[in-house]
Amino acid sequence: MATALKIEPDVTFIEHVMKSGGGELKKCYQCATCSTVCSLSMDDAPFPRGQILKAQWGMKEQVLSDPAIWLCHNCGDCNVNCPRGARPGDIIGALRQAAIEQFAVPRFMGALAGSLRGLAVLLLLPVLLFLAVALWAPKPAAPGRLEFAAVFPIGVLEPLFFAVCGLAALAFASSMARFVRALRVSGATGPILPGLIPALREIAAHSRFSKCGRGGSRRLGHLLVFWGFLGLALVGTAVGVATMGGWLSTPLALTNPLKVFANVCAAVILAGCITLLVWRATDPDAANTYFDWLFLLTLTGVALTGSGSELLRLAGAAGAMYAVYFVHLVLVFALLLYAPYSKFAHLVSRTVAMAATARKS
Amino acid sequence: MPKKLGVYICTGCTIGEAIDTAQLAKVATRECKAPTCRMHPFLCGPEGCDLIRKDVADGTVNTVVVAACSARAKTDAFTFDPGIVLERVNLREHVAWSQAAREEDTQMLAEDYLRMGVVKAQKSEPSEPLTEEVSRVLLVVGGGAAGITAALEAAAAGYEVVLVEKEPQLGGFAATLRKRFPIEAPYDAPAADGLALKAQEATYHSKIRVLTSARIVKIEGQPGMFDVAVEREGVASTVRVGAIVLATGWKPYDATRLAHLGYGLANVITNVELERMAARGPIVRPSDGRVPDRVLFLQCAGSRDPAHLSYCSAVCCMATLKHATYIHEQNGRAKVYIVYKDMRTPGLNERFYRAAQDHPLNFLTKGELASIAELPSKDLLVTLRDTMVGGEVSLEADLVVLATGMVPNSADGEAIRALKEAEAKAVRGETESQRAEAARRQDELRSHKGTEILHLAYRQGPDLPVLRHGFPESHFICFPYETRRTGIYAAGAVRSPMDTEHAERDALGAALKAIQAVELAAHGQAVHPRAGDLSFPSFLLQRCTQCKRCTEECPFGSLDEDEKGTPKPNPHRCRRCGICMGACPERIISFKNYSVDMVASMIKAIEVPEEDEEKPRIVVFMCENDAYPALDVAGFRRLRYHPSVRVIPLRCLGSLNIVWIADALSRGVDGVMLIGCKEGDDYECHFIRGSQLAKRRVENVKETLQRLRLEPERLHTAELSINEWDKLPAMIDEFAGRVCAMGANPYKGM
Repeated sequence: MATALKIEPDVTFIEHVMKSGGGELKKCYQCATCSTVCSLSMDDAPFPRGQILKAQWGMKEQVLSDPAIWLCHNCGDCNVNCPRGARPGDIIGALRQAAIEQFAVPRFMGALAGSLRGLAVLLLLPVLLFLAVALWAPKPAAPGRLEFAAVFPIGVLEPLFFAVCGLAALAFASSMARFVRALRVSGATGPILPGLIPALREIAAHSRFSKCGRGGSRRLGHLLVFWGFLGLALVGTAVGVATMGGWLSTPLALTNPLKVFANVCAAVILAGCITLLVWRATDPDAANTYFDWLFLLTLTGVALTGSGSELLRLAGAAGAMYAVYFVHLVLVFALLLYAPYSKFAHLVSRTVAMAATARKS
Repeated sequence: MPKKLGVYICTGCTIGEAIDTAQLAKVATRECKAPTCRMHPFLCGPEGCDLIRKDVADGTVNTVVVAACSARAKTDAFTFDPGIVLERVNLREHVAWSQAAREEDTQMLAEDYLRMGVVKAQKSEPSEPLTEEVSRVLLVVGGGAAGITAALEAAAAGYEVVLVEKEPQLGGFAATLRKRFPIEAPYDAPAADGLALKAQEATYHSKIRVLTSARIVKIEGQPGMFDVAVEREGVASTVRVGAIVLATGWKPYDATRLAHLGYGLANVITNVELERMAARGPIVRPSDGRVPDRVLFLQCAGSRDPAHLSYCSAVCCMATLKHATYIHEQNGRAKVYIVYKDMRTPGLNERFYRAAQDHPLNFLTKGELASIAELPSKDLLVTLRDTMVGGEVSLEADLVVLATGMVPNSADGEAIRALKEAEAKAVRGETESQRAEAARRQDELRSHKGTEILHLAYRQGPDLPVLRHGFPESHFICFPYETRRTGIYAAGAVRSPMDTEHAERDALGAALKAIQAVELAAHGQAVHPRAGDLSFPSFLLQRCTQCKRCTEECPFGSLDEDEKGTPKPNPHRCRRCGICMGACPERIISFKNYSVDMVASMIKAIEVPEEDEEKPRIVVFMCENDAYPALDVAGFRRLRYHPSVRVIPLRCLGSLNIVWIADALSRGVDGVMLIGCKEGDDYECHFIRGSQLAKRRVENVKETLQRLRLEPERLHTAELSINEWDKLPAMIDEFAGRVCAMGANPYKGM
C-alpha cells in the first residue's frame, strides 16, 4: 500500500489565489463540468477540476508544479458552463500567477511584480535610471537633426538593454530550472527538449487557441502580438548589434527595409493589443485580473509610445518627442527586465509545460 | 326488515354494446327474482340517480344493486342513506372494457358478476354505527419540539391536551442547542432557537395541561376512551383521553460502539458532545482544554453502516455544517475538515451547504476512514481512503468529531421484553445453566431497564410494534404518523430521523391524525384506510374455542383476551380489515356487510359449466386496496385478459378464510388465484401482514389438496403493486393457461 499523502492546507496560499482572481475558488463542488467542456483537456490527464481541488485544499506545491495550469489557454468555456459560478478559468489564471511568483529567481521579485505597491518600486528603477541618462550621460555632438540620441545616447542605451536582456534571460533560466525540477517531482516526466519541437510548431500556428471554444478575436489578437513582438525583437537585436558594430547609424531612413519591417511589426502589435483590449473589455466571461491587465497595458504602452515618439520625431515636436520616448524607454525596460516575474513569463513557462506534456496531447 | 331488492343496470360507457343487457335483466328478474329491475343509458347522471332515489324514497327498494362501473368510480353519485344496502357490480372495467364485445364468455362473466353481487346484497345488512361517549382530550407524550408543537396545534384547533414530559422542564433535545439549522431566508446561517418561547406558551395555555417529571404507568382502552395512569413525583392520577401523539424523540447512537472510528481516544468526541460543549462555552480539546485549530468531522459515524445503524440519520450533515460555524466563530484561523459519504442537505438546506463550501477554511471531501491514531501530543493522525484528492491522504487534527446518528426512543420494545423474560428466567429458570444464561442476557440488556414508554395494557404487549430500524411506523408512504396501534400517532424523530423544523411540521400532521381518530371514534367510524366504515366485527362467542388466532393475528392488537383466552373486542381500535375473520377456524367473526358466508355464497353463485363445455372457471381473490384498482386501470387501458376469471374483492387478502378455497374447488372451479400486496420488510399491505398471513394459510391448504388428489398448483398466490396494472393481465392469463393445461377439476359436477 502506498503511503498516504499528508495534507496540511496552506491557508496563505488559498487566500492569495482568492485575492488574485480566483475569488470563487471555494465554490467549486467538483462536478467536473469544466474538464468536460474544455476542448484542451486531455483524456488521460484532464483539467482543470483536479487542479482546482488541490488549490481548494491549499496543496500549493502539488498544484503549482502541475503543467496543466499552463496548458489552459483561458478561453472561458469553463467560466460560462460552471453550474456553481466558480469561474474555473479565473482560478487557473490566478494559479499561473502564483506559479510565476513561486518559481521566480530571485523570489522577492515575484512578490513585487504581483502587487500594485510592488509595481511602484519596480517602475521607480527605470524612471530614475533614464532620468540620470537624460541628465548626465555624455551627449554626442549635435547631429543637426532631431534624434533621440541627442538626449538618450545610443552608446549608453544599447549596452544597457543588452544587459537587461541578459539579466532577464538569466532569471528565466534559473526560474525554469526550478519549474522543471518541480515538474519532475510532480510526475510530469516528458522529455522537454524533444517536446519543444511540436510545442513550438503549435505555438507558431496558435493551434490550441483555435481549439478553444470562446473568444475568436482573442486568437487573432494574440497571434498578431506574438508575431509582431517576435519581429521587433529580431529587428531590434539586429539593428542594435549593427549600430554597436558601427555598420549602421540610427535613425534609419523611413524607406530602409529594416525600418519598414520594424514599423510593420509595431503596427501589427498595436493591432493585436487593441484586439485583445477590446476582447477583455467587452467579453463578460473573460478572466480579467490585475496581472492580466498590467501585462497587456504595458505592452500596449510600449507599442503606443514607440510609434508615438517616432511620429513626433517626424513631426518635429522636440519636447513631446523626448517625453514620450522617455516613457517608452521606461516601459520597454520594465517589460524586458521584469518579464520573468510578470505575465510575460507565460511565454517560457507555457512552452516548457507544453513540451513536457507533448506526448500526452 | 324484509329485503326489497332493486337491480339497476347501466348501459352507458359501452356496457350496452359489449353485453346483452336485456338478457342480464332477465337474470336479475327471473333467476335472482329481483322485484325491481331498471335499465338506464346514463345511470350515474341526475336522471339515472333519480330513478334509484325514487324507488328508495317510496319504499319500493331497500337493497340496491348497481350494475355499472367499478365501486371505486362515481361514489358521489351512488351514495344513499346508511340504512340502504348498496352493492356495486363492476360491468364496466371488469367486463365491457376488458373482454371481447358480445361474446358468449363475456355475457357469462357479466351474468356471474350480477349473480354474485345480488347474493352479497341479499345477505348484507345495513351497518349501524357503534357510538359511545368519547373523550376528545389528546395525550401528547414527550415535551420536545414535536410534543410542544403537537400540543399547541391541537389546542389551537380547540382540543384539550395533556402533555406528559419525563424531565422537570419542557424542551427536549432541541432546547439544549446553541443554535438550530437555518430557518429564514437566505438560509445560509444557523438561527437562534425559539423553542423556549413555545415551551412557555404551552405551559400557560388554557387548553394544555403540562405534566413534567411525569411518567406513564399504564394505558388501557381504545380510541375515544384511553385511560392513562400517570405518576408524578410519587403521586398517581388517571386521565381519560381520546387519542395519543407519541413524540418521544431520539437518543444519540451509543458512541462506545464506535471504537473503530477512534471513540475512546482523548480528543475524539461526538457531535452531541460538541453541541453540549458549545451550549456552555468554547469548544475545547478534552485533553488539554485548548481551543482547537484543526477539527475533523467524520460523517455517518455509525449511520448507513449495516453493523450499526443501516439508515441515514438525516440531520448529521447539517449538524456538522452548523458545528463548523461554531468552530470558525471562536477561532478565525481554525481549519475544519469534513469527511463524508455523501452530504445530504435537502431542500433549502442546500443553501447552508453552499455557504459552508464557500468558507475558505472548510475542507470537504468524500472519503472513508482508513485509520486513526493518537500522536504523543494527543493530536490525531487521520488517514482516509477513496478521497476526492485521490488515493490515501492523511490529515492531522486537534479534535475529531464523530457525527453520530439518531436512535428513536421507541426501539426498545423487543429488548425490554427480552430483558423481562431474562429477569423471570433468572429467578425461575429450571436448570442452573438456564439461569446463568438468563443472568448473562439480563446484564447485556441492562441499559433497557425502565425505558418502557406507553405501558399499553394490550394483549399483544406494552409497546408499539416497530419496523426494521426500530421506528414505530406502520405504513411509511401511504400513512405517515400511523402506528400499529389505532389512535396512537408518532411524530418527530421517534417516527423517522429528522431535524427540529421537520419535527415541528410532523407534529402538526400527527396532531391532526389524532383529532381525526377521536372524531371518527365519536361517530363510530373506522380510521384509514377504511375511513368512515361503519361496520365492525361481531363475535359469536358461544362457539369460540379460545384458539387465540384472532387475538394473535390482528395486526393492530385490537383484541384483548379474558383469562380463558376468549377475545375481548375493542371496536374503536379495529381497522375493519377482517384479518380476524380470515383467521377464525370456527367462522364466528363477521361484519354486517362482509362475512365468510357472504363470500361463500358468492362463490356458489358462479355458474360452473360442465367439463365438456371446455370453459374453465377461476376464482380470483383480490385485495381491494391495490390489486383491484390495478385491474380497474387495466380496464381503463382496455387490456384484455382471460374471460374465465371471477374476481372477488377482499378487504384485505389477510381476511381470506380457507374455507372459501375448499368451497370453490368442491364446486368444480378449476383454479383459485390470490393477489395481494407486497410483503416483507418493505411491505405495501395497508394492514401490515395481510399477504403474509394469506400465504401461510394457503400453504396449509395445499397439503389438504394433495390428500384430495388435486394439484396444489391449482392454487396460486401473487403479489402486486398498485402501479403494476400493466402486468396484471399477463399474470392472469399465465395462470389461466396453466390451469387449462392441467385439465378440468375432477370434482366438477359432483
